[in-house]
Amino acid sequence: MLSDRAVLAGANLARGPKRPTLSDMASKVDVAFRPGGGIWQSLSPKLIVARRLILALFAAVVLIAAIVVAVTPAPRWIPALIAVAAVAILVIGWPWVGRRVRSWGYAERDDDLVVGSGIWFRRLVVVPYGRLQFVDVTAGPLDRAFGLTSVQLHTAAATSDAAIPGLAPEVAAQLRDRLAAKGEQRSAGL
Amino acid sequence: MSDDPRTPNPAAGPSPPGPHYQPAPPDHAAPPAHVQPGSTAKRHVHPVTPLVRVSTYLPALFFFMLIAGGQSILSQPFGIVILIGLTLLISLVVLVYEFLAYRRLAYWFDEDGDLRVQSGVVFHQERRMQLSRLQTVDVNRPLVARVFGFAALRIEVAGAGDSRADLQYLTVAEADALRSEIIARSAGLEHDVGEAPEQPLLVVPTKDLLVSLLLRAATVFLLLATILIVVSTVWVSGWGGIFTVILGGVPLLMVFTEFSQLYNFSVAESPDGMRLRHGLLQTQARTIPPGRVSAVEFVEPLFWRRRGWVRLYVTVAGLAREDDDTGTESVLLPVAPRAVAEELFARIMPGTTPQDVQLQSPPVRVRRRSPIQWRHLAAGVDSQVAVLKRGRVTRRTQIVHHARVQSVRLTQGPWERSLDLASVHLDLPPGRITAVWEHFGLEQAQAMLDDEIVRMRAARASDRSTRWMRDT
Repeated sequence: MLSDRAVLAGANLARGPKRPTLSDMASKVDVAFRPGGGIWQSLSPKLIVARRLILALFAAVVLIAAIVVAVTPAPRWIPALIAVAAVAILVIGWPWVGRRVRSWGYAERDDDLVVGSGIWFRRLVVVPYGRLQFVDVTAGPLDRAFGLTSVQLHTAAATSDAAIPGLAPEVAAQLRDRLAAKGEQRSAGL
Repeated sequence: MSDDPRTPNPAAGPSPPGPHYQPAPPDHAAPPAHVQPGSTAKRHVHPVTPLVRVSTYLPALFFFMLIAGGQSILSQPFGIVILIGLTLLISLVVLVYEFLAYRRLAYWFDEDGDLRVQSGVVFHQERRMQLSRLQTVDVNRPLVARVFGFAALRIEVAGAGDSRADLQYLTVAEADALRSEIIARSAGLEHDVGEAPEQPLLVVPTKDLLVSLLLRAATVFLLLATILIVVSTVWVSGWGGIFTVILGGVPLLMVFTEFSQLYNFSVAESPDGMRLRHGLLQTQARTIPPGRVSAVEFVEPLFWRRRGWVRLYVTVAGLAREDDDTGTESVLLPVAPRAVAEELFARIMPGTTPQDVQLQSPPVRVRRRSPIQWRHLAAGVDSQVAVLKRGRVTRRTQIVHHARVQSVRLTQGPWERSLDLASVHLDLPPGRITAVWEHFGLEQAQAMLDDEIVRMRAARASDRSTRWMRDT
């Protein structure tokens, strides 16, 4: 009798009050979107630098636009507004880029690769190795300058979309080879 | 389904073809001697490729310059000479780029017997084409290439989006030899559909099709819009008359297009699979191979329910083409009474019993996320299939084979997070069907995701068909 009540109390505790606090919810979400079964790897911190550089360049372009408009006989408030926008892009974007990159992670589990990402729109993709069709390893000019490489997994579904941007080239190449090997081993029909 | 173990490595060698698959023709099995089958050396396309490619856009470039430059250039002395000179200059730049692209483009067979294609001047790319998943190999001969005696090879593996590789250009002999080699390496699954005996199952009556198209909510709204347009233009009159004809015609045209595509829809069963034939102006014929169906969707629009009509969509890997803009390629049955549809379903997904699947519902708080359809959201699984239900105005019931789900996703937007909800997506090959268990409790969704992963694995392990080739 006593133990039953204890279980009930425990269940109530686990379910929590009717409106769980925000931090309760956040940890629960983190547990759901970071399942166990493998070691979670994060992206290269260089990706934050690379993306912040792009952000800064973009802000700079907007700022230049503000200066150009300021030279023309347009009303004063227009260039001011554009300049404020440039600063806002930088101030809001700077920490956001860091959070966004850090939100990304992947783990190689026994039978599948899991990729998690997103802050507002959280997603967790589970791709069984047997479903892999091909793995693309790409590096654009900026990526190469920073020593970054992206790995994109392809299955027969367009919606799978499991991409891991910003890995060190060796890490990406090793990941690709491991995925290819596991994919071959477990290849399944469509 | 079956307890015999799956072939562990598809690249290891050809599996015995199924009873309906004929062995590959001998000319495919033995590629010409000069190809050196088994070679894993890097190969390049023909060195003349940059020239051929430039010459394909040379005329277009010249005419573009002519139009862009227009009168001002031609009225000058030597205008035409300047124009030709400029065109050649640009061509030279393009030629340099094309030369770099040619240098970069290489293809070879790796140790596993799969094709690798390396390309990209700015963005380096190396793609591995898993030949056990080969879909088509086309030898194309565009006009200019044909003049020079060259051909392009397009290799497509089963996959979504960009799952192809273009090899431009090879000599015709090279292209044919490579095509044979690729098909041979893809485990010799090339087969002729032939004239297998078929047994007609059903034909959709024209009247039912027409009535069903007119009774769809979308059509009703289109007709209302048409009436609105006609009435308003009558008020305005004058030039409006022309717009009335054009705009009023659009909805009717859309209905007619679908009608003409689905006209005389017939279903027949043959050893190759389910044969679908339809079309008024252009007849289409498709074969849905047995055991290749990923998912089937029952759709019941609002105004069909009184008549008990349903439409069936089907998703089969490789069946839906990218150029299928109308979605008729996914139609398994345009309209039929429920009993007929269920009978067809039983034939296309034999051995599954979705009607017995225990369904679960999302928590009541989901009505704050989806106030209209919340009562109609449901999910269920058994060892074979996953069942998904949603929609209130148009009810949708989807039956998805666990063994054909490509990947699973758990997603949560801000709105869902505020209500402690999450959605589980079952990713399928391209087609009309998007399978989502929408807005379940987070813990519930998490459990569904974990459960689905286990079920997918079990279903794949017991799945007999490890390979598949598109019917063309």
